[in-house]
Amino acid sequence: MRALIAAAIGLAVALALVFTITAMGSPTGRTSPKPLLTTVPSHP
Amino acid sequence: MRRKASLILLALAVFFAALSPMLRWYAFPRLAKIPANQYQDMVLEAKDATLVDNSLQEKKVSKITIVQTLKGNVEASEKIEKTLGRDVVVWDSLSYAQDPDGKMVAYIPERYIFDAHSQDPVHATGEMVDGDPVKREGIEFKWPFQTEKRDYEYFDAQTRTSNPIHYKGTQNFRGLEVYYFEQTIPWTQVKFPKKLPVAGITPEQIAKTGMTRWYTTVRKFWVEPVTGAPVYGEEIHKEELRGGTLLGDREKVTAFAGHVKMREDYIEHTVDLVKSNRLLVLLMTTYLPWGFLTLAVLLLALALWLEARSRRPDDPVPTTADEPEPVTA
Repeated sequence: MRALIAAAIGLAVALALVFTITAMGSPTGRTSPKPLLTTVPSHP
Repeated sequence: MRRKASLILLALAVFFAALSPMLRWYAFPRLAKIPANQYQDMVLEAKDATLVDNSLQEKKVSKITIVQTLKGNVEASEKIEKTLGRDVVVWDSLSYAQDPDGKMVAYIPERYIFDAHSQDPVHATGEMVDGDPVKREGIEFKWPFQTEKRDYEYFDAQTRTSNPIHYKGTQNFRGLEVYYFEQTIPWTQVKFPKKLPVAGITPEQIAKTGMTRWYTTVRKFWVEPVTGAPVYGEEIHKEELRGGTLLGDREKVTAFAGHVKMREDYIEHTVDLVKSNRLLVLLMTTYLPWGFLTLAVLLLALALWLEARSRRPDDPVPTTADEPEPVTA
């Protein structure tokens, strides 16, 4: 019984971690202030 | 104490065993996406190209340089995301070409809207090529994550049509395994760009003379399959002006002909960038899932071993010979 509870805790923590990380996602940030180029950049 | 430790190890084993497939098949498809605020520029060159001058005469030039900029428009993508309820990327792009003297020869803006995860096109207001509304099918600029060895539909901005781009084999490009794709667009009549190199001349004025613009290209891409990012590209591009009163007795004139290739410093930069992004994707799809699974097996084995030891008596009980019980008469 105690083994089952331990396994359930492990599973629950894994699920919670994955769901939290995916729900948070990644920040979208802001549009770059750099312009669309009409000059040739000298380097990348 | 040993039993408690084995239970903790068992919980950890289940934790990592569950994390392994969930990371690969649940988290990765949701987390792997093109950032909405990406900004990227690229320089391509066509050496010894043919170009038409203002008097409609063909001339050889040492080099045509094409600067391509992609800029993620975060505000526009958030607006579309609100109505569609999915992650969307809006790329405003500009293909700007100039001759060796720095004079503009082409200026084509585009707005490309696509799903941030799958790279499938998304149709929304504002999707355009050179100011003309379009409805893209297939991909443009980038392949999906986990690119497959198959043909894809690729959008051609000049003809505003999507056509198959064929998988032609696997190659090694500067230490990276890449898939080589090729697409041929046959001679097709296309629109004149809205912004022409000659000031004061509009596409409508040219169209009135009966002149038409034709284009063909062979498009080549070397795509890193894990990230779906092209690490190198080439285009054998030809344009002709045909018919009309401006050409006199000539049937056609070459407007542009050149073999367009990425500039060397941009190739190196792209390869380095793709290598680091590839590592990130592989971490989520391969390294971490397999690492977690191996760890789970080891932890489970350790838990079982500890459990078995805890059940074994520490001090063996001394064996004593049974004495015969007295028998009553």
